Amino acid sequence: MARLPWWMGGILMSMLLLLTFSIFGADRPIGASTYVPYFAGVIFDLDPEKYSYLKHIENPGAWEGVMLLGALFGGFVTSVFITKSFRISFIPSGWKQYKNHSVLSRLLWSFFSGFLMIIGARLAGGCTSGHFMSGMSQMAISSMIFGGVVLVVVIVTGRLFYNVKEK
Amino acid sequence: MDTIVHNGLWERIEGMFLTVIEQGHGSLALVFLIGVIFGGIIQYTRVDKFEKIAGFAMLKDTIVPKMLFLAVGLTSIGLYFMIEAGGAHYHIKPVMWQGLIIGGTLFGIAMAILGKCPGTGPISIAEGRIDVLVGAIGGLLGGLLFTLYYDDIFKPLMGESAGKMILTDFFKGHEHTVVLVYGIVITLIAIAIPKVEMFDEADLCQLPDDQRPDKS
Repeated sequence: MARLPWWMGGILMSMLLLLTFSIFGADRPIGASTYVPYFAGVIFDLDPEKYSYLKHIENPGAWEGVMLLGALFGGFVTSVFITKSFRISFIPSGWKQYKNHSVLSRLLWSFFSGFLMIIGARLAGGCTSGHFMSGMSQMAISSMIFGGVVLVVVIVTGRLFYNVKEK
Repeated sequence: MDTIVHNGLWERIEGMFLTVIEQGHGSLALVFLIGVIFGGIIQYTRVDKFEKIAGFAMLKDTIVPKMLFLAVGLTSIGLYFMIEAGGAHYHIKPVMWQGLIIGGTLFGIAMAILGKCPGTGPISIAEGRIDVLVGAIGGLLGGLLFTLYYDDIFKPLMGESAGKMILTDFFKGHEHTVVLVYGIVITLIAIAIPKVEMFDEADLCQLPDDQRPDKS
């Protein structure tokens, strides 16, 4: 099978979340946005003693950093051997179909949205993994607020940004 | 000068591994393995694709919300009883209205345009997507800016914490019922969301016909 159905993905992701939460696993939630400012600190060699935020995220940032290395490895191996989706590409098919054919436009929008995404995730204190998956699994009110805002904004942005009617 | 920066970088990366070993949230190998499985599930279900995430923004694909809601519904029930049995702990993020609303808005706009989130982005980079790599460079600069101006700009922007709350706090004495209803309702939502898919020929043409999800 080259693709897993959504329900199998949901069940497997749930098992991974439970393993990670469990005291026999990592005794913490899965998160995937704290590693970005952590890596920024590593790459630009910022001193954690000087920047309070780096001090604040030292432990979760490192944890997610190692998890991310695993995710890169797991994603790469799966894309080469199972899903056969590995190839160098600059522009997704859906962008060509509903936005434009310009590589420059795609790269500029990617850069801009990547920048916005991390500012947004760090302001909210989490992302799809930390808030939506891990947070809502704990019935956290903060994560439900985040999930609700993101769902609405994603759909509104999709309607305004893409030529959804063109086929 | 170059060598100093170079040494600094390697020391910092070594420091990352040491921090993970010392903080007691699973061994280094386990944390890496959690990442491998995380990346494997996301790649195997293809939910990192632009066509799945931006596709949902256009309401032309619903695989991402279906899978997310199912994972949350199942986990919420399992996790609650695991915590009750002493096998896990809560790790709740506080309600900070300003941060959640401003942050959620920026995040939502970015997710629709990039067609990735911070967890799925790296999986796409691992399959050779240069546009997402450029997005990650933007993200690193965002992370840098956030770190540099945290005390002056971003922390005040997040506002005051209204405390850490979970749903059962509002239904004292009925915790079990609330958890079961919550978990079942979220799971039913996952099943009830109509299944719509946007297929990408460039992704599927590598597969034999009998393995293509759009032809079976």
